[in-house]
Amino acid sequence: MTAQLPASGPDLEFQTHVEDGRLWLQTCEDCDTAIFMPRIICPHCGSLRLAWHPASGLGTVYSRTVLYGRPKPGDTRPTRHALVLVDLDEGPRMMSRLPDTDPDDIAIGLRVKARVEGEAGAHVIVFDPAGEANA
Amino acid sequence: MTTRLRGKAAIVGVGTAGLGEAPGFNAMDIQALAVHEALEDAGLKLSDVDGLFTANMSHTFPAISTIEYLGLKPRWIDGTNTGGSSFVAHALSATMALEAGLCDVALICYGATLRSDAGRMTPAAEQPTYEIPHKPRYPMTAYAMAAATHMARFGTTRAQLAEVAVAARAWARMNPEAFERDPLTVDDVLSSRMVMEPLSLRDCCLLTDGAGAVVMTRADRARDLPKKPVYFLGGGIASYNRAVSEMPDLTTTAARDSGERAFAMAGLKPKDMNVLQLYDAFTINVILFLEDLGFCPKGEGGAFVSGGRIAPGGELPVNTNGGGLSFCHPGMYGVFTLIEATRQLRGTASERQIADAETALCHGNGITLSHQATAIFGTEATL
Ligand SMILES: [Zn+2]
Repeated sequence: MTAQLPASGPDLEFQTHVEDGRLWLQTCEDCDTAIFMPRIICPHCGSLRLAWHPASGLGTVYSRTVLYGRPKPGDTRPTRHALVLVDLDEGPRMMSRLPDTDPDDIAIGLRVKARVEGEAGAHVIVFDPAGEANA
Repeated sequence: MTTRLRGKAAIVGVGTAGLGEAPGFNAMDIQALAVHEALEDAGLKLSDVDGLFTANMSHTFPAISTIEYLGLKPRWIDGTNTGGSSFVAHALSATMALEAGLCDVALICYGATLRSDAGRMTPAAEQPTYEIPHKPRYPMTAYAMAAATHMARFGTTRAQLAEVAVAARAWARMNPEAFERDPLTVDDVLSSRMVMEPLSLRDCCLLTDGAGAVVMTRADRARDLPKKPVYFLGGGIASYNRAVSEMPDLTTTAARDSGERAFAMAGLKPKDMNVLQLYDAFTINVILFLEDLGFCPKGEGGAFVSGGRIAPGGELPVNTNGGGLSFCHPGMYGVFTLIEATRQLRGTASERQIADAETALCHGNGITLSHQATAIFGTEATL
């Protein structure tokens, strides 16, 4: 017997769900573990019963680095591009950025809140510092 | 069960070519020169090779292109590509194939011309889908994040990372084939250009051309060949993730498991190792692998490498050829750990020779801390 395909693939499902501006994650209905990156199969227990749920969007910076690039024309300072790994409150970890935050203000342990960036079909999850009001 | 491979095969020939810069040559050209060198070293001919173990980033089908270029007719091929760790893993699978009679002469080889190709590192066709949109720079981003996490959790300092680069340079200064041989101090490393926090230029490996080849046979045949055999005593691999964001703990690598498997097969312990060749793509790698392979407790790697412990004259010689940081690094470095271990165990490492070296550990790391391979070798006395 050949396996039955779900209605649509996990990458497409992700793009469709985050269209509403929230971060969505799959949760395994058998072992109750939240999953990212999107998959067909649970990497913790092998189940195919994965359901999409909106996540809190809250997380904590697990690691950070800043890439120093060539200075822009007419400038002597290198460009700086900060990258983070965020541990989501639901469990999974993801690579991302804080596009509106100075790299020096991004520290390991910083609480952050997700937002959705990018065009339809190519949405990405980025973060902002989670102020008290957001948290 | 796992000891069935111990001592069953040996490295009988090694060769290198095009180290540093080889303008006007392609990867297959300099690989062929390294292979020729290794076979001459082994007292064997190309036509004797009936097992091929290779991987690279420039070819989609590295093994098949190698076969065609060299005119090989192998009975057994292993083209498993786990990144720079491939060749250390190949030493284990070559021993397995030799012992099973699938081949009699195993060739492990690699070549790349990254420097002459203007530093163009062929990007892997397969990249982590959910990391790419954030514009990481592979592989550096992963190692910088590992270093940042190690520093935050254990108080490891940039000066301790720098000690790794300084030790590598001190070894390279005793290796006429090393690419970078100028003196280097901790201050030089700290004041070099910041590339990716917390890693500066001198925390990062070189980008060179270079090729390496290793020939292995079963132990009984090895004894009849011209050079002193370097016996395979144990090996292990471990891999749990491709993307760094999928790595459970950035301060602990799968080397903990690959190392444990290799030591179990060899029936040896870290304290039994005379010389280590650890894939040092970045300074943090050496600290992580010394911890994960059991040479010091987790979190203490920074203090462990300080005060010249892994440098010439120190109590634990690491990367005696100068490593990927100062010797050469043509994109994938693993094969060079095997070659330097062989030279040390043969006693032919000239100025940088470790006195009475009987055991050597090679550790290969692949992609972005994604795959780890450990292999332990010894002289006849260790059998
Ligand atoms: Zn599950």
